[in-house]
Amino acid sequence: MTAATLSTPADAAATPRPHRMFNAARLHTANPWTTLLLPWIIYAAIFALTYVIWQIVITNVGGVENLPPDAFRYNGGAYWALVYMLIAAVQAMNLTFRFALGMSLTRREYYLGTAGYFVFLALVYGTGMTLGAVVERATDGWGVGGAFFAAQLLYEVPIGQVWILWIVQFLVFIFLGAAVATIYVRWGSTGITVFFIGLAALVVGALYLHAKYDASQPIQGWFATTSLMEFAAWGVVFAAVCGVAGYLLLRRATPRA
Amino acid sequence: MDDGRPIFLQIAARLEDDILAGTMPEESQVPSINEMAAFYRINPATALKGVQRLVDAGVLYKRRGIGMFVATGAQAQLLDERRRAFQEDFLRPVAAQARALGITPARLAELIEKEMEK
Amino acid sequence: MTTIIETTGLTKRYRGVTAVNDVSVALSGPGIHGLLGRNGAGKTTLMQLISGQEFATSGEVRVFGESPVENAGVLRRTCFIKESQVYPDGFKGKHVLKTGPWFFEHWNEELAQQLVADFRVPVNRVIKKMSRGQRSALGAVIGIASRAELTLLDEPYAGLDAVARRLFYDHLLADYTEHPRTILLSTHLIDEAAALLERVLVIDAGAIVIDEDADTLRGTATTLAGRATDVDAFASGREVLDRSRLGGLATVTVTGLTDADLAAAAAAGLELSPVSLQQLIVRRTGAPIEIEEAS
Repeated sequence: MTAATLSTPADAAATPRPHRMFNAARLHTANPWTTLLLPWIIYAAIFALTYVIWQIVITNVGGVENLPPDAFRYNGGAYWALVYMLIAAVQAMNLTFRFALGMSLTRREYYLGTAGYFVFLALVYGTGMTLGAVVERATDGWGVGGAFFAAQLLYEVPIGQVWILWIVQFLVFIFLGAAVATIYVRWGSTGITVFFIGLAALVVGALYLHAKYDASQPIQGWFATTSLMEFAAWGVVFAAVCGVAGYLLLRRATPRA
Repeated sequence: MDDGRPIFLQIAARLEDDILAGTMPEESQVPSINEMAAFYRINPATALKGVQRLVDAGVLYKRRGIGMFVATGAQAQLLDERRRAFQEDFLRPVAAQARALGITPARLAELIEKEMEK
Repeated sequence: MTTIIETTGLTKRYRGVTAVNDVSVALSGPGIHGLLGRNGAGKTTLMQLISGQEFATSGEVRVFGESPVENAGVLRRTCFIKESQVYPDGFKGKHVLKTGPWFFEHWNEELAQQLVADFRVPVNRVIKKMSRGQRSALGAVIGIASRAELTLLDEPYAGLDAVARRLFYDHLLADYTEHPRTILLSTHLIDEAAALLERVLVIDAGAIVIDEDADTLRGTATTLAGRATDVDAFASGREVLDRSRLGGLATVTVTGLTDADLAAAAAAGLELSPVSLQQLIVRRTGAPIEIEEAS
């Protein structure tokens, strides 16, 4: 037969090649809707909603002058962005993992590519939020002294630190979501149930210890003396720990039907 | 393709039939393995096995780079083989059946003559 | 011909169920081989072990000479299509096809497009909303267009009607002929695929019960019918796969008859009929004949 037999030279190494990991990351962009397009729409919607609420309040009180200056500085709207990304990370880890295996990727290639994609997302959205904060400050709080992108604690923080803090917050939420998702991927609903029960037990235990040894002073002290940048550093560490934990769990996960 | 015999034997048999009937004259090219596989909807390896059987028997030969051809004298060769097998393959069952029906050899010969006159 | 897949004492146990039981087989390539068995016999689990998607409880599996688990070098030469494949939320057919060339080195886009058209895969529809047959068709497109050196197809035509199945076999055979590779096809619709198979592996309750060349297997059994006394006399001392009786008539399926035996049987007035591969396997695995649901 003259047909060519398909074969690959035997240099095929066991270590993942960069371009396959890159393509593993690309897997998440094949349908860009969930992670690249929808979030912007959601954030815009939440912002718009917050702004409308501000306007309603202003109309009710008859004018901005009638409100204390920091009236619109405390709101958690932007934090829904973090929650959404956590959910998106959970979905990505669960469904895309099984698809990736179906496309002959190794778990390692998939995880590293996905982690890279997650870091990319954190950078993109962190920067996006920061740009929002830049505009916010330039327009004097959207003309109403409001703060959405750099609200509450972030209000007086220099923009450079705002940027770092946003990125770190996204990293924390995304990798936390991914790690919890891998518990589900590996052990199913039983695993998740056990995890949350265990978590609840830990929280209760911590609260008990806190009450018993009256740790409120030292804890408050720690919060007071730790700078935001130190928090950011701890955040990165936490995200990294989640990342490693997720990988260790995924290594033995199988695409159970 | 029937279920009773290995497919490669059936392929070989069909090719032999075609050669005997003159549909595939001597020195003509036989369809390629891939064509046969597609036509009969069988694995090319099976088609190859059937063809190879005939090559080994000297009925077909291979011209490198071109394909498989019917060997000169193939028709005569096959005719010879089949004549020798005729008694075992065809006559024996007829004889058995005739015996079962009580048809005498003489009567059988009459019937055969009538059939062959047609 | 080289050994592509080799398993030694491969076993997989889940919560007390032994899905794959001490399987030791070797498959060479290029070739098209069949992994046959009833539903739940262990075909999918075995393929998952071969593709590294599942971890063995004990025993070994080697693909291209190495363990496939977490082995990019092996996996990128492999394509495993299964019915239970999960796709990311919101993924449409076209998204999946887009990713084909990223992971399969020999992916052929032209072939993929042609297959999509022939199978009428609705590429703009979300996979969740596709019918079972359409999902299978999508899987078939990927499986064939990937042209992976080792292609594992696990019941690739679930939900495909007879016409679509015919299309599938024809396309598979045509592309295999042009680009030989190693294909392992698992199915319980044996007769349809029988003519394509070189080696036949039959798995029953996790264990391999038949491991033979299709051609050797074909014709090893014959069904004899006739007067009960004649049939019984002939069947005594032989391996009997199946027997049935109706009054004074009996039918028996036996193996290992030589040409002389066949002639003797005919002479004894027994009626001989061939046994298809499907019937042979069904009878060897002691299963009632399954009727495939119309799709």
